[in-house]
Amino acid sequence: MPKITIDGKTAEVAKGTTVLQAAQALGIVIPRYCYHPSLSISGNCRMCLVEVEKSPKLLTACSTEAADGMVVRTDSDKVKAARRDVLEYLLINHPLDCPICDQAGECGLQDYYMEHSRAKSRFPQEDKVRRQKRRALGPHLVLDNERCILCTRCVRFCSEVTKTSELEVMERGDHSYIDLKQGKALDNGYTLNLADICPVGAWTSRDFRFKQRVWFLKRTPTVCLGCATGCLMEAHHNDGVLYRLVPRPNAETNTWLCDHGRMTYKAVRAGDRLAKGVIKNGLIELEPALREAAGRIDENHPAAAVLGSPWLSVEDNAALARLAKDAIKTENFCFDFPGAQGVKDGILINEDPAPNARGARLVKDAYGGIALEELRARIVDGRVKTVVTEARAAAFVRDAVKASGARLIVFATNRADIPPAAYATLPYACYFEVPGTFVNFQGLRRRAEPSVAAPEGVRPLWALVNRLAAYSGASLHLDSAADALKEIVFK
Amino acid sequence: MAFTLTDEFKQRAEKICARYPRRDAALIPLLLELQREAGYVAEEAMDALSGYLGLPYSRVKAVVTFYTMFNRVPAGKYHLQVCRNISCHMAGAPGLLAALRARLGIEEGETTKDGLFTLSAVECLGACGDAPVLQVNEDYFGRVTAEKLDVLLEDLKHGKYPSTR
Repeated sequence: MPKITIDGKTAEVAKGTTVLQAAQALGIVIPRYCYHPSLSISGNCRMCLVEVEKSPKLLTACSTEAADGMVVRTDSDKVKAARRDVLEYLLINHPLDCPICDQAGECGLQDYYMEHSRAKSRFPQEDKVRRQKRRALGPHLVLDNERCILCTRCVRFCSEVTKTSELEVMERGDHSYIDLKQGKALDNGYTLNLADICPVGAWTSRDFRFKQRVWFLKRTPTVCLGCATGCLMEAHHNDGVLYRLVPRPNAETNTWLCDHGRMTYKAVRAGDRLAKGVIKNGLIELEPALREAAGRIDENHPAAAVLGSPWLSVEDNAALARLAKDAIKTENFCFDFPGAQGVKDGILINEDPAPNARGARLVKDAYGGIALEELRARIVDGRVKTVVTEARAAAFVRDAVKASGARLIVFATNRADIPPAAYATLPYACYFEVPGTFVNFQGLRRRAEPSVAAPEGVRPLWALVNRLAAYSGASLHLDSAADALKEIVFK
Repeated sequence: MAFTLTDEFKQRAEKICARYPRRDAALIPLLLELQREAGYVAEEAMDALSGYLGLPYSRVKAVVTFYTMFNRVPAGKYHLQVCRNISCHMAGAPGLLAALRARLGIEEGETTKDGLFTLSAVECLGACGDAPVLQVNEDYFGRVTAEKLDVLLEDLKHGKYPSTR
């Protein structure tokens, strides 16, 4: 195990550790552009130059392996001068875009310039090399080649992570720029990661551009509900509006986030977001809608059924289970969602598009219930005449409902999710608005935390269930999401 | 017209690939082969070659654009490349270039209308001892004077390829 001394601090690191990683472990930050912990080492930006004793030249910390007895200085005059020079070099052709650049506030050039350089440019502005600006490349990204410092993080991401290798550095010298095949779009399902890893404003998100300055954003750690992988992510929001989702890198599931997952926040403020109930096709206030739904359930309790949903949190599924067991008092309830789970594309996207099939299984373990096939059979043969479920989960019984004409009462967040056969629809607060517990395909417990407030009058699903039960004359005593979790045993 | 690699090319390519431990290492030699055949490397040829070598297209394109020796537009039958670095410059390269511009009526990077000549100014050809150096396709002509240039151009125009130097 090599012992390395950096700025007077000594540490013993594993063989193969680079100087940059060793410094990080010692709490010493070495500036970098091209280095990214999840990509291969390139060593082209020269920002991480450090002084190594007995080495005649400065070395790049990112690509120098820590050796036994190595003595490194990251704060010497020589290193400081090198950083200044590298920044001057990188900024020779960089446009003075900051006031109109979306990266401002989270830009590596801005940050390091303030920290390490603050020198006035010796190059006249009119001599700067001009390159193509604002080029929409693919559905999610805009490329501004003038701002690019050619760190090749994006090139390496496309060749190493998605293995699609669309991007390369074309030409050479100060003619170089990042490009892909003419006429092709950059659309590999993970493209927005480029906007994250780009240390400057060259790659920006078409969706997020100019919506909000980053220093206004508040960050809430949460989980992606785009599929069963359950990637950890961070919701960025301000004044009750969500602006973007970025990954929270972790060892268990994800370093990145897919484009689909990043767009899941769109539903929260979509034009078809439900704030009222729907009976058949007409909008109606929530309370009358609840009363109507409860009335239909009460018509025939033994013929009512509750189907949970892998799109709902454990709490909300548990509340639905309580509704079936303690309020409707029926045996017809199902929290069993079989189906393949596992990472489909080798990166993140799961076979199972629903985030919480494993969580629903915990509800099944606690409350029992019948199998999905059995529920379908009971709907088809007329033993079940009313089905209460969540809008997307209604697809599991679509054919059965169609065959028998059973009445469908669904909970939905957006109008587009409502199945055509739905009789009544009740709006509920999504998991950007209320907390929820999810279990991903590995069985890891994931917590969705609220970042914005629900539209006025929209309540969490467990609260709606509580009201439904009250209308049916039973009290479930659900005063919080946690109340619903009482009988659930997490493994 | 769709571009396909000919069987004859593929046969030669296999031999070239066999020289290297990795197949994709043959990229540059094969690009040179393509350029020798057509006088330039077309977009479609890069596409076909990337498929043939199992490389991403962008990689091939990056290599072609990195090296100035690859022509990306059709070049004339004779590609005249005048060295403009210091030794040649001092030995009269600017006059050589000016003479060629005047004789051919084209600027650097252009091709004559008859498709015979393409004129380029290039960086050091590594033959400073023979400065000024003119490279025609793959052959060097050293110590070029105005008279020698006239003879050379006449020879080329009449399809007579003079021996080097």
